[in-house]
Amino acid sequence: MTARALPIEAPLDPQRIRADFPLLARSVHGKPLVYFDNANTGQKPAAVIEATSTFYREHNANVSRAVHQLGEEATAAYEAARDKLARFIGAPSRDEIVFTSGTTQAINLVAYSFALPRLEPGDAILVTQMEHHANIVPWQLVCARTGAKLKAAPIAESGELIVEKFVEMLTPEVKLAGVVHVSNVLGTVNPVAELARECRRRGIPLLVDGSQACPHMPVDVAALGCDFYALTGHKMFGPTGTGALWARREHLESMPPFFGGGEMIRRVSFEGTTFADPPHKFEAGTPNIAGVVGLGAAIDYLEGVGMRRIAAYERELLAYADAALARVEGLRVFGTAARKAAVISFLVEGAHAHDLATLLDHEGVAVRSGHHCAHPLMQFYGVPATARASLAFYNTREEVDRFVEALQRVRKLLR
Amino acid sequence: MSASDLYRDLVLEHNRSPRGFGSLPTRTHAAEGDNPLCGDHLRIELAVDAAGRVRDFAFSGQSCAITTATASLLGERVRGLDAAAIAELEARFARLVRGECAADPALDGLNALAELRAYPARRKCALLPWATLAAALRGTPHATTEANA
Ligand SMILES: Cc1ncc(COP(=O)(O)O)c(C=O)c1O
Repeated sequence: MTARALPIEAPLDPQRIRADFPLLARSVHGKPLVYFDNANTGQKPAAVIEATSTFYREHNANVSRAVHQLGEEATAAYEAARDKLARFIGAPSRDEIVFTSGTTQAINLVAYSFALPRLEPGDAILVTQMEHHANIVPWQLVCARTGAKLKAAPIAESGELIVEKFVEMLTPEVKLAGVVHVSNVLGTVNPVAELARECRRRGIPLLVDGSQACPHMPVDVAALGCDFYALTGHKMFGPTGTGALWARREHLESMPPFFGGGEMIRRVSFEGTTFADPPHKFEAGTPNIAGVVGLGAAIDYLEGVGMRRIAAYERELLAYADAALARVEGLRVFGTAARKAAVISFLVEGAHAHDLATLLDHEGVAVRSGHHCAHPLMQFYGVPATARASLAFYNTREEVDRFVEALQRVRKLLR
Repeated sequence: MSASDLYRDLVLEHNRSPRGFGSLPTRTHAAEGDNPLCGDHLRIELAVDAAGRVRDFAFSGQSCAITTATASLLGERVRGLDAAAIAELEARFARLVRGECAADPALDGLNALAELRAYPARRKCALLPWATLAAALRGTPHATTEANA
């Protein structure tokens, strides 16, 4: 049963969820850990850790090469994860899922195999001002090689994309557009379906950076109507070094391979090589087999809980956190979009983000500080850095309370 | 290890009321410093006399308490010193924050930052003012912490 098919059931019980995540039981600086750095990476449920270690203990072999029993088992486990991921994001076909090391590699694959051969001087790529560097720098690299230009659609003070401007900027020289589904800094949930419709109307392919959406809400790429969807496994409570690119079959068929090597060929001779069909054409070399098996287990886990249930729980937790933070004097929150995920970027008057993060860490509260790989966004708000608390379905109201109390103490100390 | 070991009263006090914060109308040297990993930015201006000694020191910019307090304490410590003496102090400070020596009397108030030995991720914050000062004295307009990370 997929997450989408689940009825609205009983609300999620965070204590039961927490029991599945061994790391959450530890303490930091003598205090129970409050892990609020989920936008950076997610913790792993025991099911993921076990799936990876069971693979190494019992099934380890290379994929698609060996006819022996272990080879069959390894290939079956690896390919089963592709089925799970395809279902999880609503991909029309499993063959449209290319495993990568994460979002960064997925976007680079589109940059080098899709954009680079198509771009000409005078062409443009359109992204938004709230993109992660992973959805900026690959485009700058291919622009530098082709004479194309990278443009950024503006955002409002609230951290929402100015949709009319984005649409206005979809001019004929734009050959590709890119947008983050959920901002890792602001939490803004972008109206991807609407943007995809506008892009499609103009024949412009749209890439969506789904890094922060997949761990927190149901995703259905077919319903979104985009062309490419990039995601990263470690933020979905799966192993690091896993991720995927979903792309429409016609795009994958038109794209030349990015890496060459084993696994991705049909026949090799020195006169020429014919490539395997997608997705294998893009998976040269031995992939992160155990990692992908772990990602499959993470998807099973998320579906077991239910993405709608997770989204509903996190929405409520965010509202609770917003209300609690409103009582902190001198607090400034960056990103107040109407549709927002549980990501809170903030600063406290008179305190620098790094001091906030170090001092909160001493209270056992892990938050990130810095520019969050989004320099243009920091420039927009005119700050060098922010502190960021990003929540997940295993976080609780009690943890929010501890965070806010710690923040009050830190504020007094730095005053 | 507690927060008050790193954020000692002296550090907090220099962060609240940094000495030499601002700009020098009579500057002879200046440099900008960046910590690219965290976006911090610092500007140091100097008045250096004919003998090459720092007569006056000012700094400005947006930075964390560790950077601000270091810059403030640094300005007080290096008045009257020339580039060679400052380089010698910088080496001593680097040893201190890496935990390679105990308190060093030559560093005076800068010893307040010794606890950085337990915070490798924050050391760059304290090294930024030093790198910027060295760049100003060398006549290089720009410094970054990435070289001495
Ligand atoms: C919005 C967004 N895009 C891209 C990335 C890059 O993901 P990865 O480093 O796993 O490739 C991240 C994570 O840092 C992100 O939050």
